[in-house]
Amino acid sequence: MKFTQKDIRELAARWLPSDRVPHHIRIHTDTSDFFRIEYDDAVILRGHPYLIRHNAKEGRFGVDEEVKFWVKRAVDLGDGSYKILKLVFYEKFKVTVGGIEFQCFRSPRKEARILELVGDHKNFMHGLSTEDEKLNIVRVIEMIKGKRMDSLIAETEVDHETYFHNLFPRIFQKYIECVEAIRFLHDHGEKHGDIRRDHILVDADTGSYRWIDFDFNYRHRENIYGYDIFGLGNILAFLVGKGDVLLHDLKKAGASCLENFQGEDMNIIFNNRVMNLRKMYPYIPKALNDVLMHFSVGSKWFYEDTSQLLNDLAAVIPSAKKSR
Amino acid sequence: MSEEMKPYNKNILIAVDESENARRAVSYVAQLLGGAEGFKVTVLHVIPRPEEDFFPNEGEKEQWLRTYREKIEGILEEYMDILIRGGFKAGSVSTKSELRYCPSMAECILAERDKSHYDTIVVGRQGLSRKERFLFGSISNKIVNHANNCAVWVVA
Repeated sequence: MKFTQKDIRELAARWLPSDRVPHHIRIHTDTSDFFRIEYDDAVILRGHPYLIRHNAKEGRFGVDEEVKFWVKRAVDLGDGSYKILKLVFYEKFKVTVGGIEFQCFRSPRKEARILELVGDHKNFMHGLSTEDEKLNIVRVIEMIKGKRMDSLIAETEVDHETYFHNLFPRIFQKYIECVEAIRFLHDHGEKHGDIRRDHILVDADTGSYRWIDFDFNYRHRENIYGYDIFGLGNILAFLVGKGDVLLHDLKKAGASCLENFQGEDMNIIFNNRVMNLRKMYPYIPKALNDVLMHFSVGSKWFYEDTSQLLNDLAAVIPSAKKSR
Repeated sequence: MSEEMKPYNKNILIAVDESENARRAVSYVAQLLGGAEGFKVTVLHVIPRPEEDFFPNEGEKEQWLRTYREKIEGILEEYMDILIRGGFKAGSVSTKSELRYCPSMAECILAERDKSHYDTIVVGRQGLSRKERFLFGSISNKIVNHANNCAVWVVA
């Protein structure tokens, strides 16, 4: 179906207050030049109209929010729901992590495949992939009502011990579900590609932790999932520590535990992050601390896949009960 | 026939890349076995096929592959020369380069080993740091850990 401005205005009027219905609407059927697609424009994807609202922004770890011009918030004019449209943006770049450089790239096809694979799995964002008239693969993502997991942890206003005994057990269960979800991807030959603590949203309706953003990919070497597993270890340390425990912060606070730490207690990649959290919080069960230590400088061996990690996480639960 | 009595053949697979350690592995085989009767050597390079969208279009992908093949074929010829100079007959040495999607390079090499019945695999150790092994894994470690019924020589 070919849409006119009048058609789009009429559809928009069903879902938007009258003062928000745009008068002049540019209609795009080709999304290649995503900079040209602006507020109040319409995008038609396989005959389905969307009214563009804002560009998405992404802020991270205190860095100012950056506008992502290829990611648009939009109203689905079929049912009035808000969606996120991810337009095609090919980007290839080198990332350096802990002094190691590797090549990363955005892959719309990968994200499209994963959206189809995960369907309505409770621990992932949901959506579908479609195409514009130039066959650009556009992903239409359902909005998740909820906050970032790491923000919720950071906002928790209790001391660590209270957090650990009262809140962490439930959080830990949710984390295990997240790892199982990543295992599901790996079992189907897919990497998440960008496992970070700000890529988990807590669904306000269901309480589920949900992974977002699957379009990032990296050129793997021998262990295709090594970088994903590294990300899972970082998130676990964040959750157990109720935030990252950094040497710098401990020094600044004049923490007495500082002298207990040795090089082997640190994160193998980020040598300023403490992994041996039990030295700081002795009530952390040894089995849980042992998992963290597999991501440390001192580790004799590293996890090669999520099943190994999940086995060790499963062993933490009975030992945590005993230690209480 | 019991497992202990398995007759091992004299087919050797040297898995290489463009690194100095791979060259060292080839030189090692040339020096150790050059001139000895009955050995057949294949020098294998698996071209890791990049995943979808690494190249935004087919044209760039084809160009990348052409350049890569030219480079690796030159290297494989050099490796073959090293073996022949070491005493192997030209008919006992061959090279092979294949484009494959490799979730694990070690598994690709082991699959080739299974397909073509080599009882000895030779690889150069990449000399990775612990950080690199943690993040990306080690091909030689994995070959050593997963190979069955064959010898693995890791040249450091």
